[in-house]
Amino acid sequence: MEQQIADLTAKLAALEASTKMSGTINSEVFYWWCIALMIVIHAGFLAYEMGASRAKNVLASGIKNILAFAFIVPTFFFFGWWIYLAFPGGITVADAAADGLPWAQKMGPNLADNATGIFWGAFALFAATTASIMSGAVIERIRMTGFIILAIFLGSVVWILGASWGWHPSGWLTTEYGFHDVGAAGCVHLIAGAFALGVLINLGPRIGKFNADGTANEIGGHNMPMTVIGLMLIIVGFFGFLGGCIIYVNGGQWTNIYGQPTTLSAFSFNTLMGFCGGLIGAWVKTRDPFWMMSGGLVGIISAAAGLDVWYPPLAFAIGFFGAFMAPIVAKMVEKAGIDDAVAAVAVHGWGGLWGVIACGLFASGYPNINDMPPVSLMGQLIGASVFLALGFGSGFFLSLVLKMFGLLRVPPNSEILGLDKTKVPLAAYPEGLRAMPAE
Amino acid sequence: MNTSPITKWDGATAYFTYADNPNMMLALLALSAVIVVGSIIFGAFHEKECYVKVEENGKR
Repeated sequence: MEQQIADLTAKLAALEASTKMSGTINSEVFYWWCIALMIVIHAGFLAYEMGASRAKNVLASGIKNILAFAFIVPTFFFFGWWIYLAFPGGITVADAAADGLPWAQKMGPNLADNATGIFWGAFALFAATTASIMSGAVIERIRMTGFIILAIFLGSVVWILGASWGWHPSGWLTTEYGFHDVGAAGCVHLIAGAFALGVLINLGPRIGKFNADGTANEIGGHNMPMTVIGLMLIIVGFFGFLGGCIIYVNGGQWTNIYGQPTTLSAFSFNTLMGFCGGLIGAWVKTRDPFWMMSGGLVGIISAAAGLDVWYPPLAFAIGFFGAFMAPIVAKMVEKAGIDDAVAAVAVHGWGGLWGVIACGLFASGYPNINDMPPVSLMGQLIGASVFLALGFGSGFFLSLVLKMFGLLRVPPNSEILGLDKTKVPLAAYPEGLRAMPAE
Repeated sequence: MNTSPITKWDGATAYFTYADNPNMMLALLALSAVIVVGSIIFGAFHEKECYVKVEENGKR
């Protein structure tokens, strides 16, 4: 009898260990595929930007987009992950930051740690997405060197500092003000949109965009179908992005980034409803396929902050409003003399701002954990203000410094000739499609 | 070149190359940082050269 009990106890212990390990590996597998899907975002941005470029700039735009990814991953290893772990308290360095130093034992293959690498990978992809948002706005006239420096700064410093403050279980915006933004509408989209706005002011418009009287000309991309398909790829990738925003708890319920319980089902309901609200909102406003797909993206971003709590029809309405307003915001940006080639400020900046504020308007009172403050409009406004200032201030200041050193903008003759002919050793369309005469 | 920090898998934790050699880790980290910074500088020179040619000749 005693022997049987001992055997059963041993079997039970082995079963528990096996179940736990299965859960750990399931968690790794889940985030692994989120990372793969997030790379689809970059395929989308690549097609989107190349399609939105004139034929004379197609490959240069593609190279720029690819290099953003290439430089952000290593720099996110060097210091991005450390920043996230270091600054949830504001400007003081947390003890946990030691685990994010690039020479830490957790920052490489380690049989005692199945989590760090896969979370680092997911966050590195969030970083690359953030930089790609800025990438589209500045096409056809930014210097590659200046762009790479801006992309590294945005992707591996600025957004992740914002994430540490407001998208971290111990971030001060949450612990002090109950800030709630489960889908990163603020730290990714609002910061990137505001950063892009700061850069665009110093970069200036493309030659020919504005007339002497200040009126704007339409500079169409060379391949709208490519742009629209690119936008749809971004939407596909967003399911990886948003999946990466939820925490797989081994043996327990999912939680959001703040540790509050949620489900992947909640994200499914509200991502799809926000997306479709956005598609329809932009269609009603413009009947333009570019804006419809951009509107779908705005719809997801608008619903992102409260994906875990929305009643799905509310996510639909929030997405509809965000996308209906986005073309109006884009027109306001243009009227201010700013040339945002892909409306990144309107899509991501406005969408992120509206998403964070909508969470305060319609989700106030949702409880927090560990006696931290509940969701409130004031908390959301404070968070939005912090992200807006962080993104715009850093983008404006850094691009101003680059401008002073002559590293921001290509010379006018190269811009007129086209960046492909200036510096790319290939032709995008060696037969058939020819670039328009210099504009 | 033996770069393994472990001699057996039992009880192994951090097992990546040079995990037990902080100096080599720092050297490799510095090397990768130099590659990143050096590539940006190299790209800047190439870019500047192209722009100068276009400004002077009207083509690359």
